[in-house]
Amino acid sequence: MLDINHIAKTFNPGTITEKIALRDVDLHLEEGDFVTVIGGNGAGKSTMLNAISGVFSVDAGSIIIDGHDVTSLPEHRRALYLGRVFQDPMTGTAATMTIEENMALAHRRGQKRSPFRWGISSSEKKLYRDELARLGLGLEDRMSARVGLLSGGQRQALTLLMATLKKPRLLLLDEHTAALDPKTAAKVLHLTRELIADNHLTALMVTHNMKDALQYGNRIVMMHEGKIIVDVDRQTKTSLRVDDLLQMFEHTSGAALDNDRMLLGT
Amino acid sequence: MDLVKLFNAFPGAVSQGLVWGIMAIGVYLTYRILDVSDLTVDGSMATGGAVAAMMITGGADPWLAVLCAFLVGTLAGLVTGLFHTTMGIPAILSGILTQLALYSVNLRIMGGKANTAVNVSKYSVLVTSRNVRLLSADNPIVLLIVITAVLIVLLHLFFSTEYGCSLRATGANQNMARAQGINTKFGTVVGLMLANGIVAFSGAMLTQYQGFADVQMARGAIVIGLAAVIIGEVVFGKIFHSFWGRLICVSLGAIIYYLVMQIVLWLGLNTNDLKMLTALVVAVFLAVPYWKSQIKPKKRGA
Amino acid sequence: MKKILALILAVCLTIGCASTVLAEEKTYTVGILQLIQHVALDAATQGFRDALTEKLGDRVVFDEKNASGDSATCSILATDFVAAGVDLIMANATPALQACQAATVDIPILGTSVTDYATALDIDNFAGTTGMNVSGTSDLAPMQGQADMLHELFPDAKVVGMLYCSAEPNSVYQINLITEMLTGFGYECRNFPFADSNDIASVTQVACDECDVLYIPTDNTAASYTETIANVTIPAGKPVVAGEEGICSGCGVATLSISYYDLGYATGLMAYEVLENGVDISTMPVQTAPNAVKEYNAEMCATLGITVPDDYVAIQ
Repeated sequence: MLDINHIAKTFNPGTITEKIALRDVDLHLEEGDFVTVIGGNGAGKSTMLNAISGVFSVDAGSIIIDGHDVTSLPEHRRALYLGRVFQDPMTGTAATMTIEENMALAHRRGQKRSPFRWGISSSEKKLYRDELARLGLGLEDRMSARVGLLSGGQRQALTLLMATLKKPRLLLLDEHTAALDPKTAAKVLHLTRELIADNHLTALMVTHNMKDALQYGNRIVMMHEGKIIVDVDRQTKTSLRVDDLLQMFEHTSGAALDNDRMLLGT
Repeated sequence: MDLVKLFNAFPGAVSQGLVWGIMAIGVYLTYRILDVSDLTVDGSMATGGAVAAMMITGGADPWLAVLCAFLVGTLAGLVTGLFHTTMGIPAILSGILTQLALYSVNLRIMGGKANTAVNVSKYSVLVTSRNVRLLSADNPIVLLIVITAVLIVLLHLFFSTEYGCSLRATGANQNMARAQGINTKFGTVVGLMLANGIVAFSGAMLTQYQGFADVQMARGAIVIGLAAVIIGEVVFGKIFHSFWGRLICVSLGAIIYYLVMQIVLWLGLNTNDLKMLTALVVAVFLAVPYWKSQIKPKKRGA
Repeated sequence: MKKILALILAVCLTIGCASTVLAEEKTYTVGILQLIQHVALDAATQGFRDALTEKLGDRVVFDEKNASGDSATCSILATDFVAAGVDLIMANATPALQACQAATVDIPILGTSVTDYATALDIDNFAGTTGMNVSGTSDLAPMQGQADMLHELFPDAKVVGMLYCSAEPNSVYQINLITEMLTGFGYECRNFPFADSNDIASVTQVACDECDVLYIPTDNTAASYTETIANVTIPAGKPVVAGEEGICSGCGVATLSISYYDLGYATGLMAYEVLENGVDISTMPVQTAPNAVKEYNAEMCATLGITVPDDYVAIQ
């Protein structure tokens, strides 16, 4: 489904701010995999997701989604395959547009947009209303409200719904609950699992919370200094505990885990 | 002070405001919808005027002239857009570069002359300041209101289409737009083209209204455009929320701008101080939303 | 919202049209629309006021407006005058005249500081009168006289550089006229237009490098930056023949100049004819400057080592 073949990325090469962000990252996902990605600050988790979605082009290696080599495609053309939810709730939605307009935009993800078809049709609205209703946030009654009026949690739930409205080949979740309060975060995570299960999606979820990493998904990938250092498969994962993960990390990387948020999350 | 004089002057201010209102709608598209500060308009408005002047004095139909002005304006927007998207030049600087280049282009269009007269008595024109106090359909205010209304309807329809929505998303949140598969670079270019087409169109109307085109005719136009956008939002923002409503706000903002100017002139302001007044008017209207936002938290705290 | 618009419109129109402004007997309101604050234009306005005040005393009221260089503002001020129902408009400089002419066919308009009425008003077969509610005075310098002067002072020069602002329609007109005359004397003429104050110095430098003598026509922008020009021409040792006194006193060696005060004064006398004697403005020929004087800039001539014939008057 997803083949990341030995990609590398260095930002600002040859300057004082040079940063090696990804070193020979190699990762392969099967259809239906739900992989959680953990690691310390600056380990390259988000960078790997951004490399997949084409925010920047990689220096070496190739990225193949569902048999399509997307390595040289610009960001907007990879959107056809990808559903994305970001850490910042402001990033995933257009604040000045209404809820239904945002959904209509997402519903046409990766498609050609015509100046001769309406941006939103009345038959679509029915679909959006039903989809919104499953969030249980009452958004189905505020479809023509501007998204900017919603809370962070509501916006994140909406983004998640938008990312799966048109079934993506791969769902990329970049610490999408990090900016939310614990209660809302739990709700959004629950919704995430539900949407992934219902739609049989392949997903890659970056998280700072070890418990969540263990609780969700069928595989754990641990990153450190731009490399994948641990890849825990389905069988091993079920018996793992947070302490095991920490030990595994210190053993492999030779360093103590420096992510404060991650420890707090345990 | 003679109130009759003031009221006599209002039709002139209203029609001038309507012409600049069209220009301001173009500015609104870039400044508010695309979230780009486009300074091309100082040049493209004069370009529209130059194209219209040359075509009308060359015997062309005035409608054809304003249409061509629109098309040439879109080319100006295209240049700014390409500077910005393909050459990586910041939007403001791209606009300034195009504006600068357009000075030469405008001189070329007018055959090397800085000023071309469009004699109202000699050519048929769509609007002229001469008829501004007529009580008939020839009054420029009538046609300008119709044109503004048609423009607003067309823009509302366009921005309701799939493509129009993707442009609005591009301005609202580029990251989100790209994540939805929208080519934001291309969208920005299209938006700049549309906006500068509209600005050039208004330049073509202004040339007919005032009876001449001049390479310097739109110097500082961006300030008037922004003033109209902001005045419209401050005064009428509470009344209009829809897209078309916002565009009406902009047009009304331009009219208010010129009415204020007229009142100040009537109050006997030395015209030497007109520029300072313009700056003050814009500054005050820019400040109003800021002051409002400063006051609110205090009230909540109390 | 349409209702409000319609209301505004209706109010403006009814009040605007209902009130016919009646001029009191033999007291005239004269609107003066000047394009920009500028020495020459100011002098023309002053001459105009002085002439009319001399003739009519306190029976004339002036409403003086300045567009501060903004041609679009001219249009507003012009419609203001029309709305206020002034008896006559004096339009000082080309865009001011164009805006007034677009705004009214009824109120007599007198232009001044306009070089070429045929181009400014787009009149075919111009033969002195405009045939409409417009007349005035032209500030066209005696071009043949200036060409003769350049030839008299610099008979051995080969290349003459034309330095002017591309944004000024009148400058291009003058350049075209004098180029033809100078070519007749056997000079080669090259054009050096600049866009604004930012590129004056560099354009002047190129002109100095390529030419033996520079000519600057009556050009408002050049007039404002004579220091900048002089700072280039003096080190280069290149003399400038100027189209008017202001430029000459700043950076030129000699000029055959007209007086803008006299020009405005002549316009004022025309206004008197129209207002008091009922002369039909459409049949009044456009007048040119009453008299031209050969002048020289003594300091500049000394610096460059140029001696002028005795019939030249030093600029004070």
